[in-house]
Amino acid sequence: MFEWTVANRHILGNPRMVLFTVLSVALAVAVIMVLMGLTEGYKENLISNTVENSPHITVDPKEDEDYITLYRTLSRIILEHPEVEAVSPRLIGKAAAKYKDNVEGVNFVGAYPLQEDKLLKVREDMIWGDYYDLRFKRHSAVVGTDLAEDLELKRGDDFRLIRQNRSVRVTAAGFIETGTGLDQTLVYLPLETAQDLLGEGDVVSEAGVRLTDIYAAPAIAADLNLETRYKAQSWQEQSRDILEQLDTQQVYSYLFYLLIFIISGFGIANTMIMIISRRTKEIGILMAMGATRGSIMKIFILESVILGPPSALLGGALAYVAARAIGTIEVPSEVYIATHMTVVLDLETFAYVTLFALLVNLVAGIYPAYKASNLDPVEAIASE
Amino acid sequence: MSNIIEIKKLRKVYGDGLEVMALDGVDLIIEVGEFLAIVGPSGSGKSTLLNMIGILDTPTSGEIWLKGKNITKINPKERARLRNRELGFVFQYHHLLPEFSAVENVMMPLLIAGVDKKEARERSITFLEDVGLGDRLGNKPTQLSGGQNQRVAVARALANHPSIVIGDELTGNLDSKSSDMVYDLLRELNREMNQTFILVTHDMDMAEKTDRILRLVDGKIVSEMLRDGDGFVTHDLCEL
Repeated sequence: MFEWTVANRHILGNPRMVLFTVLSVALAVAVIMVLMGLTEGYKENLISNTVENSPHITVDPKEDEDYITLYRTLSRIILEHPEVEAVSPRLIGKAAAKYKDNVEGVNFVGAYPLQEDKLLKVREDMIWGDYYDLRFKRHSAVVGTDLAEDLELKRGDDFRLIRQNRSVRVTAAGFIETGTGLDQTLVYLPLETAQDLLGEGDVVSEAGVRLTDIYAAPAIAADLNLETRYKAQSWQEQSRDILEQLDTQQVYSYLFYLLIFIISGFGIANTMIMIISRRTKEIGILMAMGATRGSIMKIFILESVILGPPSALLGGALAYVAARAIGTIEVPSEVYIATHMTVVLDLETFAYVTLFALLVNLVAGIYPAYKASNLDPVEAIASE
Repeated sequence: MSNIIEIKKLRKVYGDGLEVMALDGVDLIIEVGEFLAIVGPSGSGKSTLLNMIGILDTPTSGEIWLKGKNITKINPKERARLRNRELGFVFQYHHLLPEFSAVENVMMPLLIAGVDKKEARERSITFLEDVGLGDRLGNKPTQLSGGQNQRVAVARALANHPSIVIGDELTGNLDSKSSDMVYDLLRELNREMNQTFILVTHDMDMAEKTDRILRLVDGKIVSEMLRDGDGFVTHDLCEL
């Protein structure tokens, strides 16, 4: 196919133009891949954060009731489900923590350490102390690192938790770092201690459930709702707003990506028009030698399309480098849900973006190629 | 001898506002194997006529018959095919493709015709050897002199064994030595292969080396000179 030969030679004969065309598409590819990767990374972080730091299913008290009294029975019923890995009755609430002159608002979680650890892998996030110690030391607490810092609380210091007119004195027996905003407010207590602080007797405020398959959560929550009169909510339901918001945002993002590609498409078309106007005479000669209009069109579309794969590859490489660089930047947990932003670059995304880049190259090449094929050979040969 | 080209009442009008009559009722018969020159002042329509014969341009009215076939109203694809198979062009400037070597330039019409690459290369090498450039196969146009490039262009025009070779001022840009060399080459091919050569020139010395000289003025063939031994016999064909 001589069209291929000519197109190839034209490309190789114009390294500078080729470079700029390739760069324009490569940049578009890179920007889009990084943006898509950031969104995907955010979503994954959000899900893993949600899934790691909160129960897959939360069972709340019956309607008109503030607490669950029969939590032991409830736990047994829930555990009968084959997909349920762990159940932890929890008493959660708000209190003030006071140490010397420092006062901070906290969210306390009272639970049985063995069950709570099965639910949220609490011990994996401990940076000092053992969560299991709370089984035996009734007046001890595990404190979030940032909270400890704000209170200027040291290891083994005693501090006070105050709720309305009740207060308990506890010892900092461990520090926990989840890498999320929780670290600023979290205090783990033994269940009994939390119950003392609350003063409502032997009750819990919820039962947390961990599943073997996180995506089975809505179905199991529905089952639990049918079986009991407690209100079971899957993690998907609990974070529905933010997941929906992400999906909406995705639609805008796609429009944005499309615009980026259109802009780079104009860049390619512009370069192609320049190449063709410089080669008008040559096109005339090729026509005189018997090249059909179809062949001329093919040559210039090929020239445009040939640049697609190297652009995509270069763009992919740039995106990879950018993703690595972004991954090393530390971000405060108030800003982002994790300490590092994650850019998820998967081959599937790359394949789609590459396909799109090829499409952009093709579409951008069509008009200039059509103009080239429609040149009048006599005028083309005579042109300067 | 049979007629390779028959032109009947050919007219070409350019422009849509101010119209210019480039060809004004040209009748012409060219036989197979003729070696013919078209002369005339610039603007006389000789290039237009050549472009019509070369199927690069279409007439406003009239007919052109190539090898007994009316080519005036054929589709663009067929026109391209005929240009490729029946015609070879040599222009004033060599018009070689700058990114391609001499042999690749000669190969181009063959590749367009769909000839296998290896065979095209072999045939092109033979042609380049014939024009005395066997040792310049891999040189690009920038690495060759004007005369050498023009010889590559001649080889390219001949590569597909066209029945008609068309030259538009093909030696206009060459010194007399190169010009003679190109002329001798064409003449030899004309004798050996019985190919038809039609040259447009305003170089009378060049024209007088052909067998038949047509003189165009204002889009009309005004006279015809036929070789008679070393001289020419002139026939007036129309009133000026």
